Amino acid sequence: MKAVSVGLNLPRQKGFHLRRGDRKSDIVYSAGIRALQFAVFIFLLSVIVFVLARLSPGDPLAAYYGEAVEHMSTAQKDAAAARLSLDRPIIEQYIAWLKGALHGDFGISYQYKQPVTDVIGKLWPNTLALGGLAYVSTFALSIPLGIFCASRGGSFADRALCRVGAASSVVPAFFIALIFILVFAVGLHILPSGGAYSLGGGGAADRAIHLVMPVAVMIISHLWYYSYMIRGKIIEELHKDYVLLLRVKGLSRTRILYRHCLKNALPMLVTIMAVSVPHIIAGTYVVELVFGYPGLGTLTFESARLHDYNMLSVMTLLTGAVVIAANIAGQEISELLDPRMRHDFEMSVDDEEVAV
Amino acid sequence: MILGNNKNVRVLDGGGRRKRPASGLAPECPAIDSRPRRCGVSVIVLISIALLCASAGLWLPGNPAYMDFDAISAPPGAGHPFGTDQLGRDLFRMVFYGGRVSLFIGIVAAGVTALIAVVYGAVSGLAGKFADDVMMRATELLLSIPSILYVVSLQAIIGRPTALSIALVIGVTSWMNIAKIVRSEVRQLRRSEYVTAAAISGAKLSYLLRRHLFPNFLPPILFMVISNVGQAIIAEATLSFIGIGLPQNVVSWGTLIALSQDALLTNSWWIILIPVAFLITVLVCIANIGESFRTAGAAPTSYLI
Repeated sequence: MKAVSVGLNLPRQKGFHLRRGDRKSDIVYSAGIRALQFAVFIFLLSVIVFVLARLSPGDPLAAYYGEAVEHMSTAQKDAAAARLSLDRPIIEQYIAWLKGALHGDFGISYQYKQPVTDVIGKLWPNTLALGGLAYVSTFALSIPLGIFCASRGGSFADRALCRVGAASSVVPAFFIALIFILVFAVGLHILPSGGAYSLGGGGAADRAIHLVMPVAVMIISHLWYYSYMIRGKIIEELHKDYVLLLRVKGLSRTRILYRHCLKNALPMLVTIMAVSVPHIIAGTYVVELVFGYPGLGTLTFESARLHDYNMLSVMTLLTGAVVIAANIAGQEISELLDPRMRHDFEMSVDDEEVAV
Repeated sequence: MILGNNKNVRVLDGGGRRKRPASGLAPECPAIDSRPRRCGVSVIVLISIALLCASAGLWLPGNPAYMDFDAISAPPGAGHPFGTDQLGRDLFRMVFYGGRVSLFIGIVAAGVTALIAVVYGAVSGLAGKFADDVMMRATELLLSIPSILYVVSLQAIIGRPTALSIALVIGVTSWMNIAKIVRSEVRQLRRSEYVTAAAISGAKLSYLLRRHLFPNFLPPILFMVISNVGQAIIAEATLSFIGIGLPQNVVSWGTLIALSQDALLTNSWWIILIPVAFLITVLVCIANIGESFRTAGAAPTSYLI
């Protein structure tokens, strides 16, 4: 790159945010773009995952068929290898894998001796219950907390909460979980120490009791991180000129905060909620393991420990797909709430550049 | 920005006047209290813990793995100030020797992260639109998988973990957010007049990068690099706790905290609390120091008077 070109770029024309007919066709158009984006991202992700799985040590045939390989004759092994295209270049191997994957065939779990999809099929509702509940309750608490701190920014309550929150957010989640088990399960005997249901049990109430501690740990370890972020966004909103104008016109603080600032900050909140998904998923996985909760997280870490690469790669792909879908959905929703976001997403870079 | 990132989100504000963000970090919260936070105490505490750990071999000779079979699961007392674990190992010794490993992992991982992020971010920021777009999409793709899954996968591939391999794996998997910030700082800076002037006077790219760009985007990323040290220490602890980090015979804060799973059954509170107390003290200090770097550029008071 020639050094002279540095700094001489003018702000570029962006075609994307030009008016394009009515709002409805706008939405259909952008939904189409998003679907395409999703497909491309999943495709690239699957390439990464496939390469990672092939890099892992061990015989891919064994990873795919498990111990059954030992009972196969040489001819059977060759046939299986040919079916998986293991004797071909890696690109053809990938195509063969992709074909299977598109038909729902992700191979056999080395650890469970079952198709990977069967194992995941049994466990995902547990993870969804824990992760979903944690996600909803974290934001149900952190949004009001963030608003409270922002509206009283700099006050004693705000500073005290900031201090306590900052301290709480450095404690590793697994340690909070451990303390909870020590206090509530070992000490007080009021909550089960782990698992998703009691032996023989499995009713809704039983499952709910088993969810209490994991969800509480998830909330404690994520609450302040997001409250602080939301607090920052709302304080930023409170610094805008229109707030001063409304105040001068005599509107009450509450009205300005809830009717105007919050409305403007809403798309930002949606964006924060969307990008928090991988963070919450990672937290859920760790918490599941500490509580011995039968879910995808426990499965993932066990697969890593027992070198079940096939399972591990499918789990990575699945998690990535959920995160990408959440991001795209979040972006779409925030654009629906505030069409300026479309402009901002596209213009973000240039905005910054021009601002200097 | 198609996909966001999980940590340190840089959400865009609604157009209009854009303050230079309070040091470009992420939950860019313009602090209301504009005084820079003092972090002297944190620095002193952190440095003394680090020095004590680093010089543990000098003032605390002996093997941390030495098992004293006469004192198994002994509570804190005369011979063993912090007590012993189920194998009779002295906790006091293990905490300081373990700190050496944990701090090493934190610093190496953060260093690797910073190096990759600065190079990648600067290249992306200086590149043309197409290359920049491709590079940014790539980081977003990588960000779509929780980094613990990468670490777990890479760790599974590497096999026998050592402190160095864990540090490298953590470093290699957590540069994306910082790279994005470096990139946007560089794009912002390359437009400024002094950079243009230097470029016109014939400054080479490497010179520009070294003399003009790097010193300017350093402060904004410093907070993130510092908090990365803490995150890497947490990552190591979590991995060891899960059982895919360092093996149990290597003493680190992570493996020490992992001991507390067994300690729960024997009610040995010292095994549970003491290593974690050290870990949390260090993390709080790191967070405080990082925070003091970022409250530098503060915004005016709220209009919601």
